[in-house]
Amino acid sequence: MVRLKSRYLLCEVNVSDRSQLLLLDDRAIMVAVKAAVARTHGDYGAAMCSIRFCVKYLNAHTGIVFLRFPKSCYKLLWSALPFITSVETRGQKIPCFLNCLHVGGTIRTCQKFLIRYNTQQLHRMLPKCKSEEEKRQVRKAILSCSLTESKEAFEEDSESEEEEEEEE
Amino acid sequence: MKQVEEKEEASVYQRVVLKNASPYHYLKVRLVLEDESTRLSAVELKYFIITGLKSLYGEVGAALNFDVLKYDEDTLTAFLRVYSRSLVKLWSSLTLLGSYQNKACAFRVLQVSRFDPRSSLIIRIFSEVIHS
Repeated sequence: MVRLKSRYLLCEVNVSDRSQLLLLDDRAIMVAVKAAVARTHGDYGAAMCSIRFCVKYLNAHTGIVFLRFPKSCYKLLWSALPFITSVETRGQKIPCFLNCLHVGGTIRTCQKFLIRYNTQQLHRMLPKCKSEEEKRQVRKAILSCSLTESKEAFEEDSESEEEEEEEE
Repeated sequence: MKQVEEKEEASVYQRVVLKNASPYHYLKVRLVLEDESTRLSAVELKYFIITGLKSLYGEVGAALNFDVLKYDEDTLTAFLRVYSRSLVKLWSSLTLLGSYQNKACAFRVLQVSRFDPRSSLIIRIFSEVIHS
């Protein structure tokens, strides 16, 4: 059966100032990626970007974004992502860079990877907890996320708890 | 020696790709401008081709290595040398380059070959034997 195949790139947006992360929205990221591809690969790249490119998922709390590219040209467009230096939203230029964590064929595989990645990050962060109080807070936050809620809420809570540990 | 030539009257275009051949391709091109009196220097021509590559293929295209081996200012004919992997990109950007300083222009590609067309026939046969 003929099927339109795409590649989903799981990227992390790294910003120096975490409060600016919340200002991001998917249209701003789309514009930034298209501009970078047009600069790096010219008209040829801009045309390839217009076929089936979109931002499928953006989590402003954690800075995770799913980008969809067509399978035939995803490597070329992937090579333009390191040239993104800032994202322009609501009149502000946020300096950031995109870090690609995973390439998957479907959104579901990317989500599975993201859950595994977040649990790994949590296991790395927990030993750094300075007091019992923090550990209890983290455990409570995770256990309070019920399975009926969406997976995004689970990731949000675990990541925001990690942030608090980092800052303290 | 295989030469791929574009002839106006022939409708068949054949591209032959040989493995283990020389790493460069040579193009003989002529720039045809709307007003015949403009003259370009070799540096201006190279810059003009680079702007064409940049508009079609971006920064990566503009970084393609090519050389202007010989340039005749009166007839605006040049011999270009490019790596074989970049031939398609260079040729397509020459095709789509349409205006020089807001005046219409066209690049006519007269000859494309794998071996240096400036050298004589004996040397070309010799180099073909070495490379094959």
